[in-house]
Amino acid sequence: MNFRIILAPLTLSVGILSSHAQRGLKDIPNPDPVVQKAGFNLPEGMQIELFASDPMIAKPVQMNFDTQGRLWLVSSGMYPHIVPGAEENDRVLVLEDSNGDGKADKRTVFADKLHIPTAVLPVDGGAYVANSTEILFLEDTDGDGKSDKRTVVLSGFGTEDTHHLVHTLKQGPDGMIYFMQSIYIHSHLETPYGVRRLMGGGIWHFRPETQRAEILSKGLINPWGLAFDDYGQTFATDGAGGDGINFIFPRSVFRTSPGAKRVIRGLNPGQPKLCGLEILSGSHVPDALRGVMIAPDFRGHRINTYKLTPDGSTYTSTRIEDFLSSSHRAFRPIDVKMGPDGAVYIADWYNPIIQHGEVDFRDKRRDHTRGRIWRVTFKDRPLIEKKDFTKATIEQILSSLLSKERVHRDLARTELRNRKTPETFSKLKSWSAGLKDDFSLLQGMWAYQALNSTNVGIVTTLAKSSDPRYRAAALRFIYHRYDEVTGAKQIVSKAIDDKNAQVRLWAISCLAQKPDSQSVPLALRALDQPVDKPIDFALWSIVREHEAHWVPQFESGKNIFGGKLPHLLFAMKSLGKPLSLKSIFKGIDDGSLDAPQKAQAIEVISLVGNAKDLERLLDLSASNPAALDYLITAKKIRKLQPAKGLEKILPLLASDQPEIFSKAAQLAGLWKFIPARKKLIDALTNSPKKRKAAAEGLRLYGGAQAVTLFEKISRESKDDAVRIIAVRELASLAPDKAAAAAVELLMKDDGSDRYGLLALFLKNPKASSTLARALKGKTLPSKIASLGLQRAGTSGRPPIDLMEALKASGKLKPMTQQLTAKQMAVMVDRVKTQGDPHRGETIYRSSSMQCIACHAIGTVGSPIGPNLISMGASAPVDYLITSLLNPNDKIKEGYHTTSVIEKNGDAHTGGLIIEGRDEIVLRDFAGEKIRIARADIKSLSISPVSMMPAGLTASLREDQFIDLVRFLSELGKEGEFKTDARQVIRKWTGLRSHKRVADQIAHRGAVIFAEPFKDYQWTPLVSRVNGELLPSDLPKVKGRGNSRWSVARFGLDSKKNGEVILKINNTHQMYLFDGIKEIKLPKNGPATIVVTAGGADDRFTLAVNSTQRPAPFVIETQTK
Amino acid sequence: MFSMTRKIIILITTLTALRLEAALFKDNDTVVLLGNTVIERAQHYGYFETAITLASGKKNLKFRNLAWSGDSVFGHARSYFGPPKEGFRRLTVDIGDIKPNVVIVCYGAVAAFEGEKGLAEFIAGYEKLLDMISETVKPRVIVLVSPPPAESMGSPMPDMTEHNYRLASYTKAIAELAKKRKISYADFNAEIGNGVKGMTDNGLHFHENGYRVVAPKFTKSLGLTMPNESQLMSENGTKLRETIIAKNKLFFHQWRPANETYLRLFRKHEQGNNVKELPMFDPLIEEREKEIEALRLKLTTDK
Repeated sequence: MNFRIILAPLTLSVGILSSHAQRGLKDIPNPDPVVQKAGFNLPEGMQIELFASDPMIAKPVQMNFDTQGRLWLVSSGMYPHIVPGAEENDRVLVLEDSNGDGKADKRTVFADKLHIPTAVLPVDGGAYVANSTEILFLEDTDGDGKSDKRTVVLSGFGTEDTHHLVHTLKQGPDGMIYFMQSIYIHSHLETPYGVRRLMGGGIWHFRPETQRAEILSKGLINPWGLAFDDYGQTFATDGAGGDGINFIFPRSVFRTSPGAKRVIRGLNPGQPKLCGLEILSGSHVPDALRGVMIAPDFRGHRINTYKLTPDGSTYTSTRIEDFLSSSHRAFRPIDVKMGPDGAVYIADWYNPIIQHGEVDFRDKRRDHTRGRIWRVTFKDRPLIEKKDFTKATIEQILSSLLSKERVHRDLARTELRNRKTPETFSKLKSWSAGLKDDFSLLQGMWAYQALNSTNVGIVTTLAKSSDPRYRAAALRFIYHRYDEVTGAKQIVSKAIDDKNAQVRLWAISCLAQKPDSQSVPLALRALDQPVDKPIDFALWSIVREHEAHWVPQFESGKNIFGGKLPHLLFAMKSLGKPLSLKSIFKGIDDGSLDAPQKAQAIEVISLVGNAKDLERLLDLSASNPAALDYLITAKKIRKLQPAKGLEKILPLLASDQPEIFSKAAQLAGLWKFIPARKKLIDALTNSPKKRKAAAEGLRLYGGAQAVTLFEKISRESKDDAVRIIAVRELASLAPDKAAAAAVELLMKDDGSDRYGLLALFLKNPKASSTLARALKGKTLPSKIASLGLQRAGTSGRPPIDLMEALKASGKLKPMTQQLTAKQMAVMVDRVKTQGDPHRGETIYRSSSMQCIACHAIGTVGSPIGPNLISMGASAPVDYLITSLLNPNDKIKEGYHTTSVIEKNGDAHTGGLIIEGRDEIVLRDFAGEKIRIARADIKSLSISPVSMMPAGLTASLREDQFIDLVRFLSELGKEGEFKTDARQVIRKWTGLRSHKRVADQIAHRGAVIFAEPFKDYQWTPLVSRVNGELLPSDLPKVKGRGNSRWSVARFGLDSKKNGEVILKINNTHQMYLFDGIKEIKLPKNGPATIVVTAGGADDRFTLAVNSTQRPAPFVIETQTK
Repeated sequence: MFSMTRKIIILITTLTALRLEAALFKDNDTVVLLGNTVIERAQHYGYFETAITLASGKKNLKFRNLAWSGDSVFGHARSYFGPPKEGFRRLTVDIGDIKPNVVIVCYGAVAAFEGEKGLAEFIAGYEKLLDMISETVKPRVIVLVSPPPAESMGSPMPDMTEHNYRLASYTKAIAELAKKRKISYADFNAEIGNGVKGMTDNGLHFHENGYRVVAPKFTKSLGLTMPNESQLMSENGTKLRETIIAKNKLFFHQWRPANETYLRLFRKHEQGNNVKELPMFDPLIEEREKEIEALRLKLTTDK
């Protein structure tokens, strides 16, 4: 649950807010619901009405309908933090539309005295409520409409961050209760089956009858929306992640799950953060929308729409036109549900600005009183009948289970749970005996399951359905109730060979529930058919989870994989632990492994083999050079090297292939293999192509000998290149001895740190201090000093002495700027009145700003920093300014850096990507992955320092800074800087100027740009937010005389076969080539072209005569 | 919700005729309650504290409930973002701040699921926990309380017979540990025995009425003599319990505040200033404790 929303209390006038509190809040929208309603942009045929509003309700967080058709919601005015001495007074409200006019006319306070409740589910004759550390069950035992009995159902949920508390209660088609928790929450639940702990985000399910609570899936930053499709498949959205729809299967693990060695991704990387999720259903909804998923983009004041199609074991999800959007800046949709009347209901937290922890808990702007529920209907389409299931007979309930209206089916099933009598079971039995088609059988299976019961006949029949979606549904049932399904083992064994990938995925999940000696060998049969990402993940997971069950069998010599070496290889690689490699070696020796399998075998040997096994890798490296890389990793991470035969490295050092030499040199150094040392020294001094690698190898030997060697060379060498290398290596080994020489080099640097010296001195405090001392009295170019300062500022423990020395030697002004409240107010005002977002976008895109190096906007850009897709719609201007000036003040969750200190004192800082048993992997500020052996780590901690360097904007003039902030503040708002559902070409490479162009363009024409010519240099770049690219965004290519060209290449981001339509906005002065074949374009105006799908990223070349045409171009793609 | 809507007759068969002035507590003692879910949830209902308060006669006692659902002797549940040892460290700080004279510890309910294979590790961990408590605050008294038995509630709920054997074996080991360390031992497990049914919703954890029924047994296991039922259920007795509950809520929000990430951990650069609010709970708690003391005096003098 993510409440990143606060509100300017509109009961206060702007005038009485302090100047501090006004920051970024000058355009407070009119809170009148009529005005807010007028701000909606609705597609043709849709209408929206207010169902309920403040003061009837306040701060709605989650809502669900009961079987009478009443709307329940939790309301938290206490959020985000209790005031000392305040009573716990949050509430559960029940809304009724008793006259059917589409507006709530009755409100009941069902419960109060709650502490930041984040979910309510009215089922089982009461209501489950997520209440911070606990899930409660509240009942009204005397019928006065108010809860009078409060039972703690589960306790031990963490509260480390109140916008991540346990939330989103939802009943599954199976009658179980599902709920979620987010990244910073750590929960410890005592159940009658033992304690269950979930660290970080994840999804739970709970069976009230048995009090069994289990984890379904782990991770996601802020899992928020949860939905089950018509077949029971599970989907989730993430309120702080950008992967759109996530397909959830048992034991799936998503990013940010603590300790995850491996994660899977959602279906739509690069989407806005989404809260809530609903699948549109029912006859009231237009045909084109039925079955699509809608999820609120609470930052962008809109509700996104996604269409899913099955793809292997998972789905392809495509974003289509928004369900609706609003230009009213306080519209914050946070939950969306199908209503019992077939209309769509939207919970609107109502808030002009949006925040979570970044704004002070006690900031006066935080609103604690407003909130709205909107009701969406469609013109000329009848609503569905709203039923009161509490008054229905069992027969009526059973018949509603087969209704074509999903809401009827769901509510009928919920009501069925309230009638758990022998009579119900007997009627259910005779009713279900008459079910014939798959759809009806599925409803029957769920009816039993909802009653915590099993009808084996139905499950068995569905498991044999000709439609894989029903087979998968039957397996999903078996996953939860394996022991009750006679013949489950046979069904699962058969399903692992099913021709449908999703059925196979579920078969693996079922096996994961039943660890035995056969579970892993059986699951691995899925390797005999195409393996997609979820299946690969599920297999990897079961191999590790069931280690204790298959490994002893294997170790005892049993042929548990039926002689299938690829299965064994997969198992070994997934497990990553030493196992007998006898059969693998046999497969290599007798030639029964083909080339790719052999390559895989070599990797596996390096991952799990012992010192003796590694001996074989040196022999195998002749035909598989990758073996050398694996040996390097084995030494670095596993601290393991071949037991003998190291001399086999010597011939490799004579190789004339630089890559082979380089790897061999590294190995010689890592192994400290003395006989090779002389060869390396020789290469360093005499072989220009090998000297860098030789130096690295020599450094890896370490010790006084290496120091002396590099010291000597850096002092005596006449060859500049060799000397620089020596200084670098010396800086790594003995920074104090290299500092003076390094300063000399830095003094001549162009500002790019071309010798890579800064990182070497920043890696530990001792090294940075020696550089600080050596800088005393020296003058550095301001550019290199400023770069050094940026880098130093982002390291885990910023070296104060070096930063001071850099400031002094580069004569830099202080970079960190703290604006006073007054200065901030002026700046905010100037952003709004003077800032130009278009100019700002150009600044954002400029290479000197490096924004793109770390951030993405939507689907394009780098994953290092937060995606800025809807930054402007979510963050107030003052927040943006502070983030740019003092990045450490504002760090997004999920983007905290991890500081690792190695035993040798080296420090690394970066985003934690993998936390494995043997190693951890960080992504540093340059996007590079750093692998660190667990064995080398002294400490690992979450760092309070942002990876975003301070002072990045220091080079900007004030007007440029203001333009940049204005651009960021427009991102995601209704208008030009909001990414829409259109597919456009966003990734390009631009041609840099080359003399060939001026020479040949006049004779041969634009085809010269399309020709493969290896000396051309191409620079990657991305479209502007609105999808356009200006010719001036591309490098200027000099043509003949004064003519200038802008040339870009692009590919189709589509793996599918078939045809793709390209729509170009304006072809004026434009040439387009598919390969070297020209596609004839009209002289002017828009063009539509049909091309075949697929191809490489540089398949198309587009050239524009930019002297003649400065106007932007955009290419939209549509899959036919 | 805490008012008694239904009158339930409690048979206190274990009451002894003599009112013993227990040696466990002294006037002005601070008592820490430590353990997992059963002890943690006791703070919502107040029966344990109310019963002990009244059973201790003319002594002013301050209670601090530091129990945590799912916790272990290693500190699993209080570790936040770190390994259990960080939870243990946190507990060390919490106990050090409170400086209790008496520490009542009840672990084993979670650990017992591990069965015999986990017992040695549990006892070794328990030793370390007790060492830490002794070293940190040198309390006058440490009481080890055995975990309550589990209830078999009938199908489809699990049969807990096997688990009760495990609990019995853990109980025995805890008793031996107390004996070895020459500290007090309260056999809560035996006191409840098999005689009590319907006191839980899930076989493990008492519901509101469950706490009411087992409170005397908890008190008795501590070697105290229960106050009489009429005293407990009198207007002032109810008021005392409600005040204890209110005090517990205040203390909970102080020692285990929400938003810990912002207040004291790695996002404190964003909201760390609000940690200043935590001491504001002190006078509020103190005020409640004055009321508790006044009610206790009334109840123990006017009988």
